[in-house]
Amino acid sequence: MNAAVFKLKPLFDRLGAMNLAIVILIVLAIASMIGTVLKQSQEMSGYYEQFGALWFWVINVLGLFDMYHAWWFTGLLVFLTMSLSVCLWRNSPGMIKEILAKHSVINERALKRIQHRQHWQLNLAVADGVEKSKELLKDWTLNVQEHKGRTFIRADKGRYNKTSYIFVHASILIILIGGLVGVQYGFRGNLAVPEGGVGDTISFLKGGASATHQLPFEVRCNDFFIDFYASGMPKEFRSNLTIIDDGKEVLTQDIIVNEPLEYKGVRLYQASFGDAGSDLKLKFYHLDGSGRIEDVPAKVYGTLGDGSGLNIEVTDLKVFNVENFAEEGQAKEFIDIGPAVEYVLRGPGLTPVMVKAFSQPFINTVDDRNMGHFFMISFSGQERDYQSFPIGFDLTSPEEWALFNAFRNNLALPIQPGKTDQDHNFDAFAAALDEVYGDDKPDNIPELGTRIQQATMTLRDVPWPFLVLLDDFDQHYYTGLQATNDPGMNTVWIGSTILVIGLCFMFYMPHRRLWLVFSPADKGAEVTFAGVCNRGHMGFDQEFSRLRASFTQVLDIDQEGQHKEVTS
Amino acid sequence: MTALATALHGGWLSISSGRLGFARYYTYLGLITGLSILYYFGTSDYGGSATQAQLFLWGGVGAGAGLLGSLALAAIQPARADSKVAKMFLPWLDGAVLMLLLTGVWILMSPGAAAVSYEDQSLLFSPKVVTAMYVFYFLSGILYITYLFAPESVVGRMGTSTAWVAVYLGGSALLLRWYESYMIDPEIGHAPVSNLFEVFVLLFAIASIVYLCLERRFNARALGSFVMPMICGGIFFAIWLQGGGHGEIKPLVPALQSYWMKIHVPLNFVGYGAFGVACGAGLLYLFREKLERGGSKARLLSAMPTLEQTDDLIYYAVIIGYPAFTLATILGAAWAAEAWGGYWSWDPKETWALIVWLVYGAFLHVRISHGWRGRPLALWAVAGFVVTLFCFVGVNMYLSGLHSYGSL
Repeated sequence: MNAAVFKLKPLFDRLGAMNLAIVILIVLAIASMIGTVLKQSQEMSGYYEQFGALWFWVINVLGLFDMYHAWWFTGLLVFLTMSLSVCLWRNSPGMIKEILAKHSVINERALKRIQHRQHWQLNLAVADGVEKSKELLKDWTLNVQEHKGRTFIRADKGRYNKTSYIFVHASILIILIGGLVGVQYGFRGNLAVPEGGVGDTISFLKGGASATHQLPFEVRCNDFFIDFYASGMPKEFRSNLTIIDDGKEVLTQDIIVNEPLEYKGVRLYQASFGDAGSDLKLKFYHLDGSGRIEDVPAKVYGTLGDGSGLNIEVTDLKVFNVENFAEEGQAKEFIDIGPAVEYVLRGPGLTPVMVKAFSQPFINTVDDRNMGHFFMISFSGQERDYQSFPIGFDLTSPEEWALFNAFRNNLALPIQPGKTDQDHNFDAFAAALDEVYGDDKPDNIPELGTRIQQATMTLRDVPWPFLVLLDDFDQHYYTGLQATNDPGMNTVWIGSTILVIGLCFMFYMPHRRLWLVFSPADKGAEVTFAGVCNRGHMGFDQEFSRLRASFTQVLDIDQEGQHKEVTS
Repeated sequence: MTALATALHGGWLSISSGRLGFARYYTYLGLITGLSILYYFGTSDYGGSATQAQLFLWGGVGAGAGLLGSLALAAIQPARADSKVAKMFLPWLDGAVLMLLLTGVWILMSPGAAAVSYEDQSLLFSPKVVTAMYVFYFLSGILYITYLFAPESVVGRMGTSTAWVAVYLGGSALLLRWYESYMIDPEIGHAPVSNLFEVFVLLFAIASIVYLCLERRFNARALGSFVMPMICGGIFFAIWLQGGGHGEIKPLVPALQSYWMKIHVPLNFVGYGAFGVACGAGLLYLFREKLERGGSKARLLSAMPTLEQTDDLIYYAVIIGYPAFTLATILGAAWAAEAWGGYWSWDPKETWALIVWLVYGAFLHVRISHGWRGRPLALWAVAGFVVTLFCFVGVNMYLSGLHSYGSL
């Protein structure tokens, strides 16, 4: 038993040593940096792609993909906790003893070591000097003692400053304990509830894998709204939720970001939102010359295939698309260009292409001219490569669609001998005009010609046989809720409060001690005035100088003796 | 000019101390209490002149009660009028009133609601005040550096005054911006601490105030020769932000629509600002040390505090910043608990705040418990501020996370 204690003692000492504390703080700081540089808790496949097999393995073994919950990081925190506890355990009793010690007597050697010191000869009796000093130091906690013919006055301010050491370090322990309780007995995860739907299971990541937890009640999302500013920025996300406990509707409440609801210790937060698979009506404009327009029902996240191997995966529906159409430096001009559907086209031998299709044609803001439909297309399938893809005419106008098809069909006919390309082009357009409009031709033929011509050129390069537009939609959102229960949170707040108060106490109320040692002398008395402060010398310098000046005025000082001993 | 300054200073002292100061202090307290009661318990559906009447009523009753109460107290117990608390807080309250008055002047000078809109903010007045602030900071920086070479001349005092002018311009510009955001559209209105540009202006003001307080307390004007140029460097960044369109008033995203923003953000900048001043003191230390090592007898040395004093200045700046930063981080956690579902998410900004906290925590440990002094701590203060800057700006520039609304 004794031997074991003997062996443990050095370890115990080491754990409580300040050096170790600093090392832990620095190591913790450096370790924390890693997790901010390496994105945490992403898809494993993404990491694999990014780092390759070897590094992926190394990083994964070290738990760096979710490093704040990795064994070694937790170990560091445990080590910090132990070090803190031992430190408190070892230092607190001594500190409390020191705080409670009230002796005023100070020996000559200790007095000589004090930097702030002044010696005076007084033309006063000891008793008078003591009285006047006590009067001057009335804001201080005084303790007067007589010892071996001398009178000692000890004055304290901030006597309990050292307790702040205990409070600050204990508060960090309390916070860590609160955190641990939260991790052990609390939960925090996400659930997505579609409008009109009910959910009761949250999912979260645990050690790199997905885990679920059953809530003690069910949540129904009655409605989800988004409100936008004129600039298109989201202004408010609001979910109307009903809590169903044991089959009974117990609570219906709106939540927004920053205003969660709480039921049975579980808080529900507005965390995200998304499309819950809205019903769409798409229009397929076939480019095979038939002029066929096909109505196709679809759903967001659904995939449409036509048997040829080409398929369309609808990824999102965006109802508002506000853009600033002003030139740089000019007053902004926000315009909603209408709903858009986003999809990915995939096919044999085709890089997946991302498309945003706007359902309304673009109307020029200057002269209200209909500039026709346009798409945003990323041929590389990367988000950053979206480029504007104007068609040039209004697909929803039957005449323009017919004109486009007729022109394309005519253009495909063999060129008559003796005619140039340009002639052929012109004839094809003239014939198309006749076919579509007959005698009732529109006024803007040249402009129309340019646009149809442009559309033909543009669409010739398109590697798929149709254009897909959004015709109609019935939008359903899901609301992304975060559900949390943290039984340790209040402990953390208590610890935090103690921490802040402790820090203020520690720094702003330093422990200042003054001694006045009076001894009788030939003329009256001699007095040594000395003071120490446990932190912040410049402030104490000033305070000491002020006090010294006051004493010089109050005590009847013999000028001869005044500069005998000079303070440093 | 000096005579005038002395006269003014004397006049100021006479109205700041004794019964006059005591009565003013309680008048302010009464005013604040009255307005707080109105804010928390009043209904918001008065609108227009009715709201103004309410403001005058509650503010007036509060202020009147404070004034009469304090005068009565001072008459009954004259000793009470020598209140230390009143003396401590009075300069801050007076300063706040002056700041508000200045803002009122700007409001009168600004072109009004008809001339500006969310779409066109080119006629806003607050950017002009900010530009004036830049000018004064640059002036102040130059004056402070000149002071090092001419410690006895008036330039030092001019440096201090221009710095104060810059602080008032910056503070009032932010208050004006607050007003303007509501003027553009009450829906958009919010406290001016929502984007990088706004918090930069705030940071300049807070860092200057921390510095100026240290200057006044410890007569450490040479520190300004390092702090003010640092602020001038920051100004280039702020100008660059404005050039990139970050200077515009934008509505708040839902995550920021919380009263916590008004508390968490400014308090954080007390921390950042104080750590900046500590860095300036660290640089001053290193500079003086280098001069001393080279055996220099330059007059520069006489303008600077001793190494020991500078070392203390570093410490004072850090202990101003540390509790504020701790509290700000905790309040940030409290906000996160209300908005994101957990007080701690290991979000990059949170994590970097923790890193900053650990770095300065270790600084305090080595200084207090290990008695480290001098050069290593000066270097530590400089390095600590680099970490702080990364937490403040770098995280937004290079890392993504929940704080992404401050991004560039």
